[in-house]
Order: sequence, then structure tokens, then C-alpha cells
Amino acid sequence: MEEKKKTILYLCNCGKNIAEFINMDELQTWAKSQGNIDAVEIHDLLCAPNGKSFFKEKLNASKAENVIIAACSPKMHEATFSKLAEEASVNSGRVLMANIREQCSWVTKDKEHATKKAKHLISAALAKAPFLENIEHRSLECLTDLLIIGGGVAGIEAAITASRAGRKVYIVDKNISLGGHVITTEEVAPHMECAPCMLAPRLAMIKNDPNIQVITNAEVKAVRGFKGNFEAKIKVKKRYIENSCIGCEACFPVCPVERKSEFHLGMGSTKAVYTLFPGSVPAAAIIDDSLCKHFSDKSCNDACVKECPFGSINFEQTDSELIVKVGAVVVASGFDSFNPAKHPSTATHLKYGELNNVYTINEFERLAASNGPSGGRVLLKDGTSPKNVAVIHCVGSRREDILNYCSGTCCVSATKVGHMLRKQDKEIKVINVHNDLSFATPEEYSFYTKERTAGTDYRRSTDQSAVKLASNGKAIKVSAPGITSFDADMVILATGAIPAKSTPELASLLNIETDKFGFFKSASSLLEKTLSTIDGIHVVGSAQHPASVGDSIALAHSATAEILSSLMPGRKIELEVATATIDKERCAGCKLCISVCPYSAVVFNSEKKISEVIEAICRGCGTCTASCPSGASKARMFTNEQIAAEIGGLFK
Amino acid sequence: MTTEFNPKIVAFVCNWCSYAGADKAGGQRLDYAHNVELIRVMCSGRVTPSFVMEAFEKGADGVMVLGCHPGDCHYRTGNYKAKRRFTLFQKMLSQFGVDPRRFKLDWVAAGEGAKFQKVSNEITEEVKKLGPLKLTGFVKERGNDL
Repeated sequence: MEEKKKTILYLCNCGKNIAEFINMDELQTWAKSQGNIDAVEIHDLLCAPNGKSFFKEKLNASKAENVIIAACSPKMHEATFSKLAEEASVNSGRVLMANIREQCSWVTKDKEHATKKAKHLISAALAKAPFLENIEHRSLECLTDLLIIGGGVAGIEAAITASRAGRKVYIVDKNISLGGHVITTEEVAPHMECAPCMLAPRLAMIKNDPNIQVITNAEVKAVRGFKGNFEAKIKVKKRYIENSCIGCEACFPVCPVERKSEFHLGMGSTKAVYTLFPGSVPAAAIIDDSLCKHFSDKSCNDACVKECPFGSINFEQTDSELIVKVGAVVVASGFDSFNPAKHPSTATHLKYGELNNVYTINEFERLAASNGPSGGRVLLKDGTSPKNVAVIHCVGSRREDILNYCSGTCCVSATKVGHMLRKQDKEIKVINVHNDLSFATPEEYSFYTKERTAGTDYRRSTDQSAVKLASNGKAIKVSAPGITSFDADMVILATGAIPAKSTPELASLLNIETDKFGFFKSASSLLEKTLSTIDGIHVVGSAQHPASVGDSIALAHSATAEILSSLMPGRKIELEVATATIDKERCAGCKLCISVCPYSAVVFNSEKKISEVIEAICRGCGTCTASCPSGASKARMFTNEQIAAEIGGLFK
Repeated sequence: MTTEFNPKIVAFVCNWCSYAGADKAGGQRLDYAHNVELIRVMCSGRVTPSFVMEAFEKGADGVMVLGCHPGDCHYRTGNYKAKRRFTLFQKMLSQFGVDPRRFKLDWVAAGEGAKFQKVSNEITEEVKKLGPLKLTGFVKERGNDL
């Protein structure tokens, strides 16, 4: 215990809110008789302007260093009185509130009982007072640059927005070039905006932006640190092509090897040296070393090397590693689509992969795209145009046994099928089999009614999980409970969105949480929507939940605004004041605190064999202090001594 | 002055959910047993069994630890730590001569003023039936020293 400091007690009437239910005269007399209070001041409304000046005046006059305010909840006015106290040169760590309104006068009918309870609450604060300590307001220099994981539309928009504010941006994608899912679609419903036309200028901006470093065919391997001070290790995989490549495609015709194109979801082909699409960013091609004959049987004459006007091909290239230092991380790692062949129920019922002319909605997007494998013509396997197309909604979705949620984006995509097919041939009949429909905006709903009027036939089944597809000669028989079976020559499966495959690994290396659906969790569903469960790491787009293109962009802009305004060049960031600390003399190095810390804020110093708190990461929950068997860990403002004293105070 | 037994209950409440839930009860003027008195901590994970024993030793007839609902902890997992710790602790209480019914771990969200009122009244009624806590043996001796 420190030497005795003077303590002042304020009693606030809060108009009638406290004074009507507690005998304030008795309370005041009682307080004055307590040996450990040096001054007692009572005011009618301490938070009013005259109350605040009264507060400061009496504080200055009393020369007190510990301040107890018996008034409303600290959640209401602790900040107000802490600030006033600081203005009167009293450390805010020495300001305590006794909640005699919300937790006493408002909930205790009997005035005698309420007065007695108020005395207990004040006694508890008084007992804690001698153990109070000054708190130190600490701030830290911060980095203001950004690491963006994922180069889809959300990552692209976050990068452009941050760069415009002068921040350096590192955008990392596991694919060989940027664009994500959106670049694979022709038009974005419901406005049917041309997706490549929207993205191409954005990609060009990124390409020409010296603030943005594009790192593709790469993976983030480790992220250490905290908001304002992250260090990330990125593995850049070899592509056997140097950055001097401009994507001129001169090497493509001479390459003797064909492979399935991932851009076309396996429905088209590329050479062993390839780009995803012309005009990609970065422009550089890549060589698939699992198939390239230079590597496989060394039988190739390496014609690509001779054809390349820029000498860009380098068979000796190796993987490399990059370390970047940033202030914030944006996770924009997107989503994957449910694969109907991967679950026994959908595999049996829908025979995806077995029946010809059954495609997922993503495959349909490629077939309908003008840069797709069939040049934008949606055709049957035999090369003819389809005449009767069925679209099955909710494939994998809204089922307890598979995806127990609605992606909220597939209905509009499924509605797009009829629109795009009728553009190709007005005579194509389209039947959408659904059980329920989800349209999030007036525009989406109006798109649906328009397509319905234009000819798409919506038929409502009573159980979407029981929709069955079967071969019926050349046709596919579609049956579902509640509707009459019909024949189609092509079937499109509107599959739900699922967390991207990389999600669990990313969550673990970033130490952020996922929700019950497997997507990254928000710190709060409303106010801190884009913040992950770790400060400084934001989650946007479909990495957070299945999101429309528009919502993904809005989330990206929102996260960037949060980052730009909270990490400003030249401005320090304030650290949590009520952090934990470990007494190095008492720590036995048992590491229990390390095992319970939810933020990995406690680390083991193997040289000194003790645990240490990284106070920039610590959020002050005190769980480590509760677990410490030797009393070495101290939760500031809630120390063992303080709480014990407070408990005792309640029984005075 | 009545001689009715009004058990004293000490409730350890986390700052973000349960303390706010108690405030909410106040805001809604939901009166509850007047002998329920609160100690604020940042997280239910901060509460150690020794605080609870300290409360019993100093005269509490019942003790509650209230935190955020599972999945809602402001500090991610503190309430799970509390759950593990106090599930075990409750089993040990009888060895200290304390009826386990005198202790309660529960979850009260910031919006659950009515639930705060309910758990406060329930433990009060429960403990009323049990009568005042009489410590014995080493626990009593420790209590006398405090």
C-alpha cells in the first residue's frame, strides 16, 4: 500500500433519481463519520455544467488524490469525471464510481434498504481506494500501410481506395493474376453491368499505381504483431517467367502441351505456358511445371524461349520470400462454391459430373461469357443450342445436413440464367425450380418480376433437397415433390457459397475467429462490421459472409475508411491502459497465462524463463491474472488486492 | 425492524455484458433483492475461485459470477475459461463446507435487464431456504483472519 492519499467523496442527487430513493442526509452524515474520507461534497446534478465546475473547484480545494463519485453507472459518466479529474491534475486511474443509481436507487423499493446498499457500495469503493494506482497513457508510433489478402473485387477496391489516400498497399493473391470471381462473369445482376468492363479499368489503375505492389501466385505464410505494427511473411511461388513479360502470348502457339484452364473451370484449355485472360494484372504468364515438357521428360526444344521477344522465360526461377511491414490487414479471400458431387445426398440426387449437360451456376457464367470456352454461346455437349433449360435453386443450401444457411446471392444469379439464354435465343424455355426466393433489394426483386414476365417459369417445389435428375434418353428428367416432372436438355445448379478453402489456415495464422458457418467472424455484426476479432485486421467481401458484388465493394470501402481514419501518418495510437503486467521476480514460467490469453499477447522469454505481456496486444481482460498461481500477473485497475479490498468493503 | 433473513449475495459481473445488464435492469426500474451487490471486473475470466471464497469468508451467503453468453465474450473466450474454472470449483465447494447451491455461474447479456433481475431473485430465494452460511473448520479460521 502506498502512503495515505487524501480521498474525496462526491454524492450526486441526480435530481430526484437518487435523492428520492436514498436518504442523502443520512448518507452524508455517515460518510463524514468514515475515517478514510477527507472531504464529502454533495451536489444536485454533478454532470450538469454547474456540477462539473463544482466538481473541479472542490477537487482543487481538497487537494485529494483519490476521487470517489457516488452517482450513476460508470458506463454513463466515468469518462466525464475521469476527464475532469485529469484537468484538475488527478490521475484518472484514481477515479472510482459507486453506482448508486442503476444498481441501487432505481432497483430498491425500500428507502432504508437502498440507503444501506448505497453505504455498502461506497464502502467497497473506499476500500479499493488505497490500492489505486496511477495509470499511464501510452501511445505508439504506427505504420499506416496495408496488406490485402485476396485480389478479387473487394481486395481491388480496398487497394485503390487506400492508395488514393497515399498509403502503400501490398495485395496478395494465390492465383496468378487479380480479378477473383467477378472477372469470370459476363454481367453482374440485377443491373447486368458488364463485369470485365467494370474491372478492366480498375486493374489498369492498379497496374499503373506505384503505391500498389501486386504479389500473385503467392501465399501469406505468417503474420505477427498488432494494429499499427504487423509484419507479414509472404511466399511467392516460382512462375518461370520474369516480370518483364507483358503477356504478348507469342510463346503460346509454339507450346506443344495443352492443359485444362482453371479460368474456364476446366471446360476450356490453355497451353502449359499461359495467362488467365488477356490483359491480366500482372501481365506475366506462368509455366505449369507439372506438365511442361522442359521439366517432365526434357523432350521439348524450348521453342517458347526462342519466341519470347523479352527474354522473360527463366526455367531456373525459384520460390522467393517477401517480408512486408504494415499497420493493418484486409482479408478479402473470397468464397468457394458448394460442389454437388462432394456430398452424398446431392451427388445421388443431382448426378452432377455423371449426367451430360448438368452445370453449376459458375460454369454457366463461363459458358455465357464472351471470353468463355465457347465464345459466349451456351451449347449442349453435342454442339446444338439447348431448348429446355432447368435451373435448380438452393443446391446444398438451407439444409441442416449441408449448408444451414441461405447465401442470399444465388437467387439473383439463378434468375440471370433465363435473361442470358433469351439473349442468345428467344425461344429457349427456362424453368426455375425453387422452394423459396431471396431478393435483397428492390432492384433485385424487380429484376425477378421482369424476367418472370419475359418468360422464365418459376415452379415451387415443397422440398428442394428432394429434387432429382435422371437420364431420360437424350433428355434429363427433372422431378421434385410438389411439381410435375418435366424433361430438360440442360440443367443449371444454383450452388451455395461456402468459405474459401484457405479460410481455416488464414484464421489460424492471423489468430482471428470464424463463425458457425465457417466464414470469418466480425467483431460486431453492426458497428464494427468489417473488423475481425483482432484489432487492425479487417474482413471484407464474401470472406465474411456470402456477399453480392455491390456489398463486397461497400464492405471494402468501409474497412478502408476505418483503417485510413484510425491509422494516420504522424499520429500515434493510444494503447489500452488497463493491461496486464507480469512481475518478473515472481513469475515461475509455468506458461498458464500463455495458454489462456485469447489474443496471444503473452509470450515466453526463453532466455529469462518467464512469461511477458506484449502490452500493445493485451486488451485487459485479466484472464491471465486469474490463472496465475504465483500472483506474478497483475491486471491493472483490477488487481487481486483491489478486488479483495472491494469485496471486504461490501461487508463494512 | 423485521428479523427475516435477507441473504447477502455478492455478484461478480463482467463489464461488457452482465454489468450492463444490471444497469439495464436499473434503467427499466426492475427492482430485485436489495442484498445483491455487485463487483465489476472486465471479464468473467478475471474471476478466480479465491475471490468467491473471499466473499463467502467475509460474510456472503451466496455468490454469483455473471458473464457474456457463450460466443459473445468481449474478449473472445474469457467466459469459457470461467465456465471451466467454476464447473470444477462448484464440485469442490462442499469440501469447503459450502452448499454448492450458494454459488451460481450464469450469463446475462447487456440487454437482459429482466434476466439479471430473475437470477438475482432466484439465488436470493434459494439461499433464503438454505439459511445463513455458517463456515466451519479452516475456512472459518481463514475468514476470521481476513
